[in-house]
Amino acid sequence: MITLNVNDREYDLVIPVNRTLTQVLRENLKLTGTKQGCGVGDCGSCTILMDGRPVNSCLVLAAEAEGHKIETIEGLSEEGQLHPLQQAFVEHGSIQCGFCSPGMILSAKALLDKNPSPGETEIREAISGNLCRCTGYQKIVDAIQSVAKKV
Amino acid sequence: MLLPKFDYHAPTTIDEACSMLGHYGAKAKILAGGTDLLVHMKKRLLSPEQIISLNKIEGLKEAFSQNGTGLVLGPLSTAAYLADSRLIQERISVLAQGASRLGSPLIRNRATVGGNLITARPASDLAPPLLVLSAKVTLKGPRGERTLPLEDFFLGPGQTAVQADEILTKILIPNIQGISAGAYIKLGTRKALEISLVNTACFLELAQDGSIKLARVALGAVAPIPLLTPSVSKILAGVKPKNMDDPVFREAARAAAQESKPITDHRGSADYRRYMVEILTWRTLKNAYSQLMEKV
Repeated sequence: MITLNVNDREYDLVIPVNRTLTQVLRENLKLTGTKQGCGVGDCGSCTILMDGRPVNSCLVLAAEAEGHKIETIEGLSEEGQLHPLQQAFVEHGSIQCGFCSPGMILSAKALLDKNPSPGETEIREAISGNLCRCTGYQKIVDAIQSVAKKV
Repeated sequence: MLLPKFDYHAPTTIDEACSMLGHYGAKAKILAGGTDLLVHMKKRLLSPEQIISLNKIEGLKEAFSQNGTGLVLGPLSTAAYLADSRLIQERISVLAQGASRLGSPLIRNRATVGGNLITARPASDLAPPLLVLSAKVTLKGPRGERTLPLEDFFLGPGQTAVQADEILTKILIPNIQGISAGAYIKLGTRKALEISLVNTACFLELAQDGSIKLARVALGAVAPIPLLTPSVSKILAGVKPKNMDDPVFREAARAAAQESKPITDHRGSADYRRYMVEILTWRTLKNAYSQLMEKV
């Protein structure tokens, strides 16, 4: 049995050891905001924050996430209010098919938590592990930049 | 993609991990960051029966300065840690540069220096910087501990001097005496999530009189292993360049190209790679030398 701390809630789980964190988040906890894309760390759609740092949850054994603070896209909104980054993605048309959005937003959040006013280069660098299959990068960068300015 | 079945062990000390590995031998694999191992397992290139994770062992994730000997890197230090650590940036910036170019930000938060060396990919971003820094690795197994220079560690693509029952426990970087500087350049077709076409690292150390006391250049992706180039060291040793445009740097770069043994593949041709070795070696040497001139 393992205990996972996800979005400030503790979950006791009995799972086979070969389950990735992506699988457990999606299948056991029904937190399907985290997407499974390539499964090998290339696309970033499974991005979650582990102790505040963005990682590919498809390459983390769920058992190894025990003892760490896990944050998924579902943990961002507060009392029904979207996180400023989520709101900016909506307003800037940064969401096309939406598959990369949770990962993009979490990578952006990790950047802004560390550096509240990043430049464009730093933003592009921070999301360089997240692929947008619709290729809508410009609007994603615009959205992140708009939040950076507000800080 | 699903992971095959395995038994999972999370020892809390190196000794415990060693005895587990001694017991299971080749049936077991050591798990560090997992960014290579789990990918290989998902693709069924590897199906170890036993996984021994080092992640519950304290004290393996950091670098520290050891009196008299130099820097010690814990094998589980992540690429992100090496890229951002002030100690690494100040003392051995060439390693911080290499680490900052590995994979993507997401991969860098998991990928470890120990794992990067053990997987022994010819295009490794950390091996060339560590080679030019004269790094040594400590391996621990049932017969005890041994330390060997990194240049004796790589045997071929994916092959190292590590025995099936040994664990890489430390990476040692000897103290640097004089004024020194290093540089790293990675050439790829894009900036992130890229396997190098060619990468080069160099390290220069000055003697009191301003001549080059030590020069080391290492190359990635142009030989079966990350490659040190002794001919470059020979050409530059004792030389007192006029400035960063001194022709001796181009001569050294040409020697590096001659030492490289690139192959042609879908990323680039052997001829192109060899030429890029010359250009990139030249640029890293000029870059490191200009840093030195600022420090003098």
